[in-house]
Amino acid sequence: MKTQAAILWEVGAPWSVEEIDLDPPGPGEVLVKLAASGMCHSDEHLVTGDLPFALPMIGGHEGAGVVMEVGVGVSWLAPGDHVVFGFIPSCGRCPSCSRGHQNLCDLGAKMGGGRQITDGTARHHARGQDLSLMCILGTFAHHTVVNEASCIKIDNDIPLDRACLTGCGVVTGWGSSVYAAEVAPGDTVAVVGVGGIGANALQGAKLAGAKRIIAIDPVEFKREKAMELGATHTASSMTEAVELIGQITWGQMANKVIMTMGVGSGELIGQAMALAGKRGRVVVTNLHPALESSVTMSGLDLTLYEKQLVGSLFGSGNPRADIPKLLNLYRDGLLDLDGLITRRYPLEGVNDGYQDMRDGKNIRGVLVYD
Amino acid sequence: MKSKAAMIHGLNQEWSVEEIDIQAPKKNEVIVHWRAAGMCHSDEHLVTGDMVPPQEYWEFMGLKDFFPMIGGHEGAGVVVEVGPDVTDLAVGDHVSASFVPSCGRCRYCSTGRQNLCDLGSQTFIGGMITDGTHRHFQKNGEPVTLMAKLGTFSEYACVATNSLIKIDKDIPLEAAALVSCGVATGWGSATARAQTKPGDTVVVVGVGGIGMNAVQGAKMAGAKRIIAIDPVEFKREKAMEFGATHTFSSMAEALPAVMEMTWGQLADRVIMTPGVLHGEMMGEGMSLAGKGSTVVVTAISPMTSTTASINLFELAMWQKEVKGTIFGSLNPRADIPALLDMYRSGTLKLDELITKRYPLDQINEGYRAMRDGENIRGVIVNG
Ligand SMILES: NC(=O)c1ccc[n+]([C@@H]2O[C@H](COP(=O)([O-])OP(=O)(O)OC[C@H]3O[C@@H](n4cnc5c(N)ncnc54)[C@H](O)[C@@H]3O)[C@@H](O)[C@H]2O)c1
Ligand SMILES: NC(=O)c1ccc[n+]([C@@H]2O[C@H](COP(=O)([O-])OP(=O)(O)OC[C@H]3O[C@@H](n4cnc5c(N)ncnc54)[C@H](O)[C@@H]3O)[C@@H](O)[C@H]2O)c1
Ligand SMILES: [Zn+2]
Ligand SMILES: [Zn+2]
Ligand SMILES: [Zn+2]
Ligand SMILES: [Zn+2]
Repeated sequence: MKTQAAILWEVGAPWSVEEIDLDPPGPGEVLVKLAASGMCHSDEHLVTGDLPFALPMIGGHEGAGVVMEVGVGVSWLAPGDHVVFGFIPSCGRCPSCSRGHQNLCDLGAKMGGGRQITDGTARHHARGQDLSLMCILGTFAHHTVVNEASCIKIDNDIPLDRACLTGCGVVTGWGSSVYAAEVAPGDTVAVVGVGGIGANALQGAKLAGAKRIIAIDPVEFKREKAMELGATHTASSMTEAVELIGQITWGQMANKVIMTMGVGSGELIGQAMALAGKRGRVVVTNLHPALESSVTMSGLDLTLYEKQLVGSLFGSGNPRADIPKLLNLYRDGLLDLDGLITRRYPLEGVNDGYQDMRDGKNIRGVLVYD
Repeated sequence: MKSKAAMIHGLNQEWSVEEIDIQAPKKNEVIVHWRAAGMCHSDEHLVTGDMVPPQEYWEFMGLKDFFPMIGGHEGAGVVVEVGPDVTDLAVGDHVSASFVPSCGRCRYCSTGRQNLCDLGSQTFIGGMITDGTHRHFQKNGEPVTLMAKLGTFSEYACVATNSLIKIDKDIPLEAAALVSCGVATGWGSATARAQTKPGDTVVVVGVGGIGMNAVQGAKMAGAKRIIAIDPVEFKREKAMEFGATHTFSSMAEALPAVMEMTWGQLADRVIMTPGVLHGEMMGEGMSLAGKGSTVVVTAISPMTSTTASINLFELAMWQKEVKGTIFGSLNPRADIPALLDMYRSGTLKLDELITKRYPLDQINEGYRAMRDGENIRGVIVNG
């Protein structure tokens, strides 16, 4: 079939929205009519080259839609089912999946290539070429074909433009606080960068019972939004925050620091570690450029204060458990998804949406298809 | 196809080895040729009724009759036929049974608790866990169900792929059979569930097929003292070979000794693995446990019994915890292969667990030997 998709042909180019050819789903695959896709910063990393995936690639990995057709052997999904895509597939069988770390599913190894999990070929084609898919999903499109391992079935009453956010940003941010940082009641938590990810780290920290939540972002609009999402204090930079946190904690500093800036920087890790107190835990969720290989920080502090520095992928959550779980929290009023969406765009507005992200105007911009 | 199978027709009856007819596998099912089956105490609980739901619940569970049932849930074998759409198993693959299925998709499977997979609820009712219909029939044409939907006391069985774990072909199938329930359950009771730490004092009550592996697990986790309690002398001797440092014939006999050797601190972990766990045994087990200790309940109690003799004052003031476990709180798809790899590397004893092998026809002799305390594990072997 024919459909529309936003393609990145080379690093630095704008997204090109054009018609593509889409093959029917093969065994174990599913054709989905997408309803909405969040515009996460990770797709911007494709454009800047920080994330060196195989191009040309259809962007987008925060999507939700309705199943139109299932391939041979897909027994648990049927046309009409609503699905959110987990940005990491989960096979449910490998050692990581079996032990409760679906975010580290062995199928994740296929993400860089962006071709179908089953046989490594492409179902998406344009200008006579095969196309890769961001996270093997390609949600900047009206339709896509993905592996069943990427599909999470959800209840039909959840609006899909909100549901899509749980495919990446919401679980990643919320889980960074709840699972990776293990925020405990009474903690002081600093969140560095209040975009689509950081906004949810704030919400997670709040639900986990943090006493003080310091949101750090250079953009004033983000700091205002942060207060609505659970922050108790804000600062415009980590330098400013060191003093603030020192004062409000009587020098104890933060128990947890969560890094959710647009682009991570090895040179800033030392500043982040300085926000953390004794036994403080610093969680690195934001992506650093692929070729960056050094980090500046005090090794002596690390030892003498027993600080911890840990990475987190998908908020260390499990797509099949956490996407439905967070949608239930939304339904119960314990998680704000409505307030995360600053602006909606049609697929053709994808470049405007990313410009607004770069300009700090959006918590999340969302592409909405009809 | 035809197969010989050991089934039981009602409470307190002998196992009866009969010919059955097995239909072709449907979606997500395969036919397994069971080559080895361990004789776990849990099958005995079917015979005695400890693990048989009361008759008044049968209708609610959608069952006309709980019996007849083909026994066996510890086993390993070879796939001889696959149903349509089965992509993760092929003819010739070696598989271990998993008495808890794991779908890989439910909330529990998705959070590292495959032993609690939602499909587990289907293992006590009617036909296949795939679609509820039957594949196994007696000579008279009536359907027969399978213990844990595995029926390893049959030469062949039709089993859902969700209940099978593919294993490497260099592993002896007898070894894999033992791991599929007893070894994993016992080992995990001491490691994953009791969280035994280096230097701990661990008590294991009942050292049969499960308890012996709790002893191995505690040893691997670095326990300083491992106290094995069993009335049967042969079991106590064996326990010393598996890593126990002390043995006693009863909890009453152990108490003063454990008190003395720990300078009054008592045990950090107590693991309850006797053949049948009666409520009044819990008080004794708990009294072996010290401040801040963990007591793990692995053994099966009669299904309808609802009382246990536990001193709740001590539970609160000494901050003890009592924890149940199924499958030693392990994840079958990750941990069965992991345990087999420990066996391969020489850190887990499996061959030594097998006291005696039996052909399927001698299953009643095997269970008599278990009741009389002659076996650590008896294993049924099919050629
Ligand atoms: N680990 C994962 O699983 C995972 C998943 C999704 C996204 N990410 C990454 O998380 C990061 C955040 O993504 P997003 O979509 O929320 O981005 P975003 O652009 O929406 O938000 C980033 C925010 O960081 C702020 N910021 C930039 N520099 C800062 C600084 N020096 N100090 C404080 N704040 C600063 C920006 O003003 C912006 O508000 C990206 O690197 C993204 O690739 C990681
Ligand atoms: N929770 C689970 O997932 C799980 C899995 C498998 C088996 N089980 C249960 O675990 C229990 C043990 O199974 P097994 O196959 O090892 O049985 P087994 O018959 O091989 O061993 C039981 C041992 O307990 C000893 N014993 C009996 N009464 C005792 C007492 N009062 N004090 C000390 N020792 C005593 C016996 O002498 C025997 O050595 C059974 O109840 C079985 O159903 C539970
Ligand atoms: Zn993302
Ligand atoms: Zn996996
Ligand atoms: Zn068993
Ligand atoms: Zn499951």
